[in-house]
Formats: sequence, structure tokens, C-alpha cells
Amino acid sequence: MRKKISISKYISYLFLIVVSAIWTIPVIFGIGTSFRSQTEVVNEGFRLLPVNWIVENYVKVLENTSTAPILQWLWNSVFIATTHTLLVVIVISITGYGYSRMKFKGRDLLFFTLLAISFFPNVVNLIPSYKIIDILGWVNTPWAMIVPGLAGMGNIFLVRQFMKGIPMELDESARVDGANDFTIYSRIILPLIRPVLIVCALFSFTGSWNDFLWPVIVYTDVEKMPVTAGLLLLQDIYGNYRMIGQLMSSAILAIIPTLILFFFAQKYFVSAINLNSGIKG
Amino acid sequence: MQNKRNFAPIFFVGPHIILFIVFILIPSIYGIYASFTKWNLVADPVWVGLDNYKTILADSDSTFNSQFLNGLKNTLLFVVLSVPLMIIIPLMIAVSLEHKEVKLKNLFQTLLYVPGLISISAAALIWSLIFNKQLGIVNNLFGSEAVWTTTQPYAWITIIVVTVWAGIGGNMIIYRAGINGVSRDLYESAEIDGAGSIRKFFSITLPSIKFPLIYTLVMTTAGAFNVFAQPLMMTSGGPRQGTTVLMMYIRDLAFSHGESIAGMASAMAVLLGLVILVISAFQYYAMSRNA
Repeated sequence: MRKKISISKYISYLFLIVVSAIWTIPVIFGIGTSFRSQTEVVNEGFRLLPVNWIVENYVKVLENTSTAPILQWLWNSVFIATTHTLLVVIVISITGYGYSRMKFKGRDLLFFTLLAISFFPNVVNLIPSYKIIDILGWVNTPWAMIVPGLAGMGNIFLVRQFMKGIPMELDESARVDGANDFTIYSRIILPLIRPVLIVCALFSFTGSWNDFLWPVIVYTDVEKMPVTAGLLLLQDIYGNYRMIGQLMSSAILAIIPTLILFFFAQKYFVSAINLNSGIKG
Repeated sequence: MQNKRNFAPIFFVGPHIILFIVFILIPSIYGIYASFTKWNLVADPVWVGLDNYKTILADSDSTFNSQFLNGLKNTLLFVVLSVPLMIIIPLMIAVSLEHKEVKLKNLFQTLLYVPGLISISAAALIWSLIFNKQLGIVNNLFGSEAVWTTTQPYAWITIIVVTVWAGIGGNMIIYRAGINGVSRDLYESAEIDGAGSIRKFFSITLPSIKFPLIYTLVMTTAGAFNVFAQPLMMTSGGPRQGTTVLMMYIRDLAFSHGESIAGMASAMAVLLGLVILVISAFQYYAMSRNA
């Protein structure tokens, strides 16, 4: 009996160590290569870490402000993802309040109708969405990425679900004291739903930051695009393995912001999903 | 008072409804409408009835027909190759992490979760180098002679590797939470009855996380049908369009530099959407009935 448990323990460890290594080495390799010179990469071939650490790749990448303005791209991404996230938090908390704590005719029917429609595969609305963004004059502007995502139902579903766990007595006693819906929303409910809002904010931020297909479609102006779309251009600019270090240092620069966010908010990323599966299970 | 009660909800749910109509409802309906038209994204669409669908599905002389069939074949191949790995690997990791004697759970989880936060284009740049013939890890370490991204089946392998590497974090945490929620008593009484680890996994763990499994299967599959970035960046759809997926054709037809063929692209998008809907519904039905 005791022996059996030990074997499964060692198998678990072995599996976790092997998988973690496979998952970690590419990142180390990418970082290492970003600090190697082109001559070293070509002459010495594969190495996980550089023989001579150089920062020249980063300097060159940051100095290239014409064909691949990576700082501009990073700033675009930061502006887009931050603005999008703030608006998401406002929209989902207000809308979630409406669907969970206000009483009006057809409320749940309306909510579930919108939810059902939102499950419709969004590949179908891709091309007309571009046309709408074009009509609004938002092609090559940050709004093309900031606004459309606010229409989604997933986060509103989570917030509504979370709000349903808050006793209605709180609202009722506040109402007796003369509070209106906006006061109840901002003074009572908003502070209580902080955990779920943080979770939705983190996923909105990383989702917006990492979005690829949509920015590739709506940005043609090199100055205006976010960094994920910019990296696609780099394959041509630093590509064909002529400037490997620059290619890698650009990739590393692009992933630093989300990694910083993760290390500051790690517990929320993980609790996030607890909340998710709690609903489903 | 009566009035106030009637109008307040409009301020709370109204703004989102406008967003929903403009950015989800109208484009979805218009996307279906456009699939029955000849449209170049600029002029008004011209109604052509079922012509686009006839061309795509039945006209074997048309390039749209061969593009659609090739794109659908490659997309399905991607789904079939990637989805099982995106379920089984995170499930095995979650089971290992939830093993009661395993330590350093958070360290392992962080190492495995972080690649999922890397944008797919950055991940593809790093992995392209790893698979590079002269300079990469794979050929140097394992002495393989393959030119990975331009010969089959290696081109598919590179795409699947990047996908799995970047795509397991979410499912891993969902499964961990699910397994964590299973009562310890169940395992203990099974141990008293002499059940081994494998038996416990199939008799207790799997049935207990039925809902997370259905959810992740449906969502992972639907996501996989929308694959675009990995083949675009790893193989450019090659060799000989052998990894060109449907999303790449749809984007090229609607948004490439020549005149847009958005009507045809919309018809392909509707067909892809139908495939996703049918398969999601089938998966949900099959799993909730059998599990």
C-alpha cells in the first residue's frame, strides 16, 4: 500500500519535471539568443546561453524607429489593453448589476437571448465587423481594438453569477434609507465584486494584448499597430535568420509586460479559474 | 416612483445592448447576408443567391472550391491533432500536481502557465528558431536532419508543438480546480477497497470532473477551428499549401491586396461557423449523455 503511493509520487515528479523543462527551455533559449551576436550564433551554432553576453541586439531594435518601431508598438499595446480593460470593468459591472439586481420585464429572457447569440461562431461576423470599423473611421486607430470586445457576454455572465451570491437584503435596506440604484451599485455592490472584476480585468488585458487575427486585419499603418501584429512584420525585416538576435530581442520585449503583470497578480490568475469551474461544476 | 423603476434599467443594460447590436448582432446577420452576395467590401453587395455556396461546394473547376476543401481538410487535421493533446496533457499535469505527496506545486504550475501568457506571434518566432535546421535546438540535440517547417509531416509537428506549448495553461488550472473539489473521502474509501492510482483516476477523478471536461473540450475544439496565427507564422501555410487553414483563405480573400472577394469569403466563414456549431453541439450531446 505505502509502496504503491510512492511509485505514483515518483511518476508524478518525473512527469512534472520533464514537462516543466520542455515548457521552460524555449523561453531561456529565446532570452539567451537575444543576448548573442549574429556571428556567435552562426559560428558556434546552438547554445542555450551566450558565450559573450551583448546588449547590442536590444540597442539596435530600440533604435529602429522606422521599419519596426517596437517601443511605439509596445506603447500602442499598453494603451489599447489598458483602455480596453478599464472600459470592460465599467461595462460589465454596470450591465451585470442590471441583469442581476434590477427587476424589469423580460430581464432573464433578454439576458439568455443575448448569451445564446454570443455563442454563435464569431468567424461569421469578422468581415462585417471590419466594415463597421471602417464606417466608424476606426481603421488604424486604437478604438478598433478597444471597443468591439466590450460587446462580449462572457464576463457579464461571470459578474452576474457572482452578484447573485450577494444577499438582496443589502440592497433593500439601502433602498429603505433612500438610496437609488446608482448609489447601491457604486457604494455597496462595486466594492463587493472586486475579486471577480480583478479576474475579468486580467483576462481582458492579456486577451487584448495577445490578440492576433483582428489586429492583423485592422492595422496596416506600421506606426499604429500593437506589438503582436508588429512581430509578424519582423519575420520580413529581421527574417531569414540574418538578424537572429534582433528577432529574439523583439520577441522578448513583447512578452515582458504580460509576464510582469502575471508575477504581480499571480494569485488572481489562478483563483480566476476556480471561480469559473465553481459555476460549471 | 413607478416611472423611475421603469427607466433605471435602461441606463444599466442599455449601453451594453447598443454595443452588442453594433458589434455582434449586426455583423453576424450581415455576415450571413453577405455570403449570398457578390461583395468587394466597398460597393453595395449584389445578391447572387446560392451561387457562392455552389461554387465553393460543387464547382470543381473553381479555385474557391479547391481552396475551401484544402482549408477545411487542414483545419480539421489541426483540430484532430491538437485538441486531444490540449485535453490530455493538462489533465495529466493537473493529476500530477494534485497528487497529495507532490511538493513545489506552485513552482511547477507557474513554469507551465507562463508560456500561455506569451503572445502567439512571439511564441512562433522563438519556436521557428528552435526548429531551424542549422541553429535550432531540435536538430542539434537530436541529430535530426529534417527541414522542419517546409517538409511534411514536420510542418504540422511544428504547428502542433507551438499550439500545445502555448495553449494548455487555462485547461490545466480548470482541471486542477475540478480535481481539488473532489472529496478526499472518496479516494480514501477507494484505497481501503484496494483501488490503485489508475483505477482511482478512471473511477473517481474523471467522472467527478465531467463538467469541466465537457466545457474545456467544447471550448478548445471551437478555438482550434479558428486557428490562424500558428500556420501563418510557422510555415506560411506551406509546403504547397499543406498547412493553409480555412481562416487564412478567408482573410486572404477578404483583406488581401487585390480586390476583396468578401462575399465568397463570407460564405466560407458561414460554412466554417456551421461546422463549429454542429461539432460543438455533437460533443456536448455525446459527452453529457455518456459521461
